[in-house]
This record gives sequence, structure tokens and C-alpha cells, in this order.
Amino acid sequence: METLAYLLPLFSPSILGAIGLGTLGGLIIGALPGLTATMGVALLIPLTFGMAPIMGLNMLIGIYIGGIYGGCVASILLRTPGTPASAATVLDGYPMAQKGEAGKALGMATIASTIGGFVAAVVLALLAPQLASVALKFGAPEYFALAMFGLTIIASLSGDVLKGAISGFLGILISCVGADPISGVLRYTFGVTGFASGFSFTPALIGLFALSEVFVQMERLHLKDEQIVEVSGRWPSKKEMKESANALTRGSIIGTFIGIIPGVGSGTAAWISYNEARRTSHTPEKFGTGYIAGVAATESANNAVCAAALIPLLALGIPGDVVTAVLMGGLMIQGLAPGPMLFQTNPDVVVGIFGGTFIATFFMFAFGMLLIPVFSKILNIPRHMLAILIVVFCFIGSFAINLNPVDLYTMVAFGVIGWGMQKFGFSQAAFCIALILGPMAESNLRRGLLQTGDDLGAFLSGPITQTFLVLTVLSLVWPYIRQRLDNRKAKKKAVTSKQ
Amino acid sequence: MLKINVAKVLTAAAAMAMVAVPAFAAFPDRPIQVIVPYSAGGSTDLSLRLLADSFKRNVKGSTMVIRNQPGGGGSIGVSATVHARPDGYTLGAGAQGPLSLLPHLGGTDYSLEDVEYIGMMSRSLQLLVACKDAPFTDFDSFMAYSKDHAPQIGNSGAGGANHVSAEAFAKAAGIKVKSVPYQGSSQARTACIGGHIDAMVASPAEALTQSQAGNMTPLFLMEEKRIDLFPDTPTAVEKGINFTWSSWKGLIAPKNIPAENLSLLREEFKKAVADPEFQKKMTEMGELVEYADADTLKKQVEADSKTAEAVLRDVGMYGMNKN
Repeated sequence: METLAYLLPLFSPSILGAIGLGTLGGLIIGALPGLTATMGVALLIPLTFGMAPIMGLNMLIGIYIGGIYGGCVASILLRTPGTPASAATVLDGYPMAQKGEAGKALGMATIASTIGGFVAAVVLALLAPQLASVALKFGAPEYFALAMFGLTIIASLSGDVLKGAISGFLGILISCVGADPISGVLRYTFGVTGFASGFSFTPALIGLFALSEVFVQMERLHLKDEQIVEVSGRWPSKKEMKESANALTRGSIIGTFIGIIPGVGSGTAAWISYNEARRTSHTPEKFGTGYIAGVAATESANNAVCAAALIPLLALGIPGDVVTAVLMGGLMIQGLAPGPMLFQTNPDVVVGIFGGTFIATFFMFAFGMLLIPVFSKILNIPRHMLAILIVVFCFIGSFAINLNPVDLYTMVAFGVIGWGMQKFGFSQAAFCIALILGPMAESNLRRGLLQTGDDLGAFLSGPITQTFLVLTVLSLVWPYIRQRLDNRKAKKKAVTSKQ
Repeated sequence: MLKINVAKVLTAAAAMAMVAVPAFAAFPDRPIQVIVPYSAGGSTDLSLRLLADSFKRNVKGSTMVIRNQPGGGGSIGVSATVHARPDGYTLGAGAQGPLSLLPHLGGTDYSLEDVEYIGMMSRSLQLLVACKDAPFTDFDSFMAYSKDHAPQIGNSGAGGANHVSAEAFAKAAGIKVKSVPYQGSSQARTACIGGHIDAMVASPAEALTQSQAGNMTPLFLMEEKRIDLFPDTPTAVEKGINFTWSSWKGLIAPKNIPAENLSLLREEFKKAVADPEFQKKMTEMGELVEYADADTLKKQVEADSKTAEAVLRDVGMYGMNKN
């Protein structure tokens, strides 16, 4: 009954308006490359100073949810991931758009984001305090094992294992640039102050995926490619929904789980979910060619992370990612300290945030679906003009993140690397995964060794560590087992057909 | 007591402003940019945004815009501040890490010689807290444990403020600690609440909520005297160890700003910090508003810098990033 009383104020026009406005604003911010959900939330915090806590916080959550979803728009249409969270969406989203199915790709992204968001929001509302303790089980060995598991995706995502491994190791090597995570020594910065934190992530991704694609397009300019004018409707067919059901379920669960673990983030969730969907699919070869289930897998996972990341924040006072860290600042300014006590001292705020998460997810669905035809119009721009526009966005987006001119060099250099990789068949996805997970693996390995006095045994003990290590081995060996099984089946068939 | 102070400050500021405004009405005629050397949303960023708000309310015709230039533990933004055009239109947030500590590691392209000071706006008090399931629960048991073990103390980054303060305490107390660096304070806090480290340096705000929940136990306060928020937590000083540490936030500028603009900025800053609304919001965020003028801030920066230098030499990090 009390809960209901706390929920009712959410439906007052002013609060609904604030959430709606926040979600729409976040959606647009997320859709523009270089403007991230984090930035949107941070810039709007001062606006919420004067608002009541429920209104202000839910507006921020709206921006957060809208912003993470909005990232898929540029990924699908322009191959420009505005956030690391949507980098994996490029893999199938962009080929779909190239086939003239941009509307459907965006539609599926919206549906998947909504499902992922709702699943995580339900978990948040029902189990937040109970699940939060999972977040605390992760020490250095656990994070390291999780990172190792994530890195095995490289093996299964790249067709050519050798080239995939080279891309992966190159990514890890490049992620070593900047301050050493444990000793603080600057590595490979060559005295450039701007590299003190290593290569900035978003500019690197923008270069890797977007600028490289512009180079590829430029090479093809003299070929009279057909302009994509036809943009399919936004609703996926029944058959397509059925094909994606597996990806949606897995994505939502994986996203929720990863979201609860602090500091892992929606980028990792999206890649793991993509890999899982592909591994368990009946038609794994379709992934990466513009397969709708690929979009469903990544987008359901990264939006599930949003709501799930609120679990450790509200229940323990631990922000799971950068955006929730900023949200925590917003809570503190309202005089509310997130943590176990918040549930007792301010149940109205906690319930209000739970409710707001649902409402923001709903708004995200509505606005997303409404805006798809508008977004898709981008593809009507003639290809050579679009290429120039994308280049402009690449530069603005890379600079806007940190206002650091060095980021522009980073973006251009990664553009050239990405183009080279595409040209010679090296996997950009493997490279990207290594960039995300390399630092996590390194810092936790080194931290763990420091804490245990160089005892590697700690990295093999503990149930969570062991589970992830077993999964790591399985995921490496699985392709061979599968091949064997297939071969045996084929042989049997051959034998039976001969008879 | 505070009220009287505020009133005095306001009168003084108003008097100064009345003298200053007619003569230099030209400055500032466009927004003043403040470079925050950290990402948007952190405590330094939010504090400066509150200050910008207060500026808008209190200083007629002047607005402040925040520009985030994160990276390199704050060194990238501070470098941009001290190398900006010295006209008073570009200022920077001054923080302990990039000013007092990082230059000792090498690898920064500025030194304290390049910094002009506007004033200090707040201090952040610090406590050493025992983490979940730590083998000690108060100052005495912590010291006893440290006799034959090196407790693992988490910090928010190698060579950062709370790495240096933990090592500085160990030096003063004559104990050994094992510093465990994390990427940022929230990672360290997660590890602390999860019981993966023994202790960490925390702010009063986070220590209060987490100790009420039974996740952290305050060991001692790094001040001269106890504070009301933690009446039962001793200070290191009263336990006979001559050690205090706090971090601070202030406003800095490049050298060689025209003298009249500089003094005007210092007066406006003082006025903005005295604003009650600003003080209220800062307090809610867990910051201790404490105005100090440019000279006091300079002395504080230099004193911290000296302590940090000694500590960093001890742990072998001094000059490690020099080219």
C-alpha cells in the first residue's frame, strides 16, 4: 500500500513531463556522436538543483536510459558508435542499413532496448538489496577471470583465428599506453602530456569504425553504387522476432548480471551477449552480415545494464559505471546518500527511482519508434555528402569528449588502422574487445599479484573465478568440438547415403 | 559565529566591490571559463558548478562556464590552465593532486612557479577507515596489527592524493603499509565494502553512511581535533602521531594576469564562496566550505608539496616520469 502511495506522485504531469523531456533529450544526445549519456547527465545536474529529488533524479535517469539507447542510431546508420556500449551494434546494424533495412534495424534496437530495460528494471525493483551482494564478491581474481572470459570472444568472432589473435594482441598492446595502473609510471607516451591517460576510448572507437568506413567508401566512390533510398518499415516481422527471441532473452539476462558487477560496463555486456547469441544460434554464420538477432543481442544487453547498474548504486552506494557515478553526485547534492540506509530513510525516493526507471523505459520505446522515420532520412543524403558529414562528426565528436586536441590525432590514427584492418581482413571487433578488456585484465592481474604477494594460486581459487575460467576454456574449445561433431554427423550421413 | 563571519565577509566584499567596479567596468565583459581537470560529475566538477551558480547570483554581469579537460590525473587540465592566455578569462580548478603531487612524479609540463592563486573554497577532511572484515576495528588495534603485518590500504590511483596521505601517515607512525591502487575512488570503495582490502582513506560523508550500514569502521581522523560528525573517532594527533592531512579545492589562474583583473577576481571569488545557498549545497555534498585567500592557499599548496615530495622519495616514485 505504501509503495503505491510512493508511486502515485510519479504520474503527476510535471514529473511525467520531466522524465519524458529527460528521455527525449538523452535520446538525441546519445544519437549524436561524441555526446554521451555521461555528459548529458553531468551537464543537466545543475538544472536539477532546484527540483524535488524524485523529479530531478528521474529526469537524470531518463537522460541516462535515453542516452544509452540513442547510441544505436549512429551505430546503425553511420557506423559511428557514439558510446562504447553501441560499438557491437555496428556489426549487424550497419550491414542491415546497407541492405536497406535501416528502419527494421532501428526498430529491433528499440524493441530490444525496451525488453532489456524492463527485465533489468523488474530485477531492480524486486531484488535490488539481495542481488547487490553479488557486486561485493568481485575481487581482483574474479575481475581478471571475467576479463579472460570476455577476451575469448576474440577467438570465436574472428573467422581467421591467427589474424583475430593478432588484432587482439595489438589492441592489448595499444591499451598499455598511458599511466601504468599500479605503479603510475607513464608508458609509451613519448613525452606527450595529452597521452598521460592513454588513448581516449571514444575517439579511438570513432576512428576505428567510422573514419575507417569513410576511407573504404571513398575508395568506392567511382563505382556507381546504388543509393539506399528504400528504408523498410520499423517493425520486425513475426519470423524475425522468433529468430531473435533467444538473443533477446540472453542479452537481457547477461546485461542485468554484468550491470550489477561494478566497473564492467555496457560495452563488455554487449560483446558478451553478442557472442553468446551467436554461439547458441542455429545459424551462427549469419551474424555479422546484417542479421537482426545480432542487433537484438547487443541492444537488449546494453540497456539492461542501465537499470541493473542502479542496483549497486542504490543498495550499496557503489556506482557501477561512469554515468551512475555522476548520478550519485546528483543524489548527494540533493542531500541523499545512496547506500543501504537510503532504503530505510528515504523509501519514497527509492521507490520513486524504481518507478521512474519503468516510465523512462516506456518513453524511450515511444520516442524511439516515433523518431525512426526521421532518423532514417539521414540515409537519403547522397553518399559523398554523407561521407563528408561523417568526417565532420568524427572530428567534433572526438574533440567534444575531453576537449583534448591529442584525441583528434588518436581518432585519425585509429581511422587509418581501422581501414588497414578492414582492407587486410583483420577483425576490428577483436581489436575493440581487446581495447575494452585489456586494461581490466592487466590492472586486476597486477593488483591481485600485489595483494597476494605474487601468488598465482589466488587466480584459480574461489567459485566465481573457477566458473569463469571453466567458461573460458569451454568457449575456446567449443568451436573444435562442434566441428568434430559436425564432421562425424557428415560422415555418418555420407555412409548412410552410400548404402 | 558563522553568521557574523559571513556578514563581515559580505560587507567587506561589498565595500571592495563598490570601489572596484567603477574603475574596471570593462572586465569581465564576457564569460569567464573555468577549466576543471576532471570529468563532469565528480566532486570537483560539481563544486565548481555550484561556484559558477553562485557567481551568477552574486557578481553582476559576470558568468562562469565550466570546461572539463580530464586526463592524466588532472595534469592535462592544469597544464591547459597555466598555459592559457593570462587575461583573467581563463581560470582553473585547483586541486591537490595535480598541483602538490604530480609535478614530483615528473611528466607534467608545469611547476608551481607557473601557478597564480585566486583563493581556496573548501577542504575535504579525510579519515582512515577499516574495511569490512578487517582484522582491526579501532586505532589501537590497527596500530597493534601493523606491528607485524603490512595492512593493505586501497587508494584511488598510484601517486594520487590518498596514496600519498596513507604513505605519509605510515611514515609518521613508523609502520609499514601496502598500498593497493585502484582506478578511481569508487573502485576502491567497492573493494573496501567487499572486504578485498583492509583499509582506505575516505571522506566523512562516505564514511558516515557506510559505517552506519556496518561496512566501514572509522579508525582515525586526519585533523588536529575531533569533529562533531564523528565524536568517538580519535585524531592521529591526540594519539601522539604528528600527522594531519586534508585535501582542498580552490581557484587558480595562469601567471601574469593584469593586477586589477586579478584583484577583482579574488574579491568576486570571496563573495561567491560566502553565498549561503552555495554553502548549503556544498555542505549537503559533504564538502567543508572554508574560504582562504590566495596567499594562504599558496602556502597550503607548497606545504603539501613538500610533504608529498618527501613521501614520494621514500616510496621511490619521485621523478619516475621525468624524460
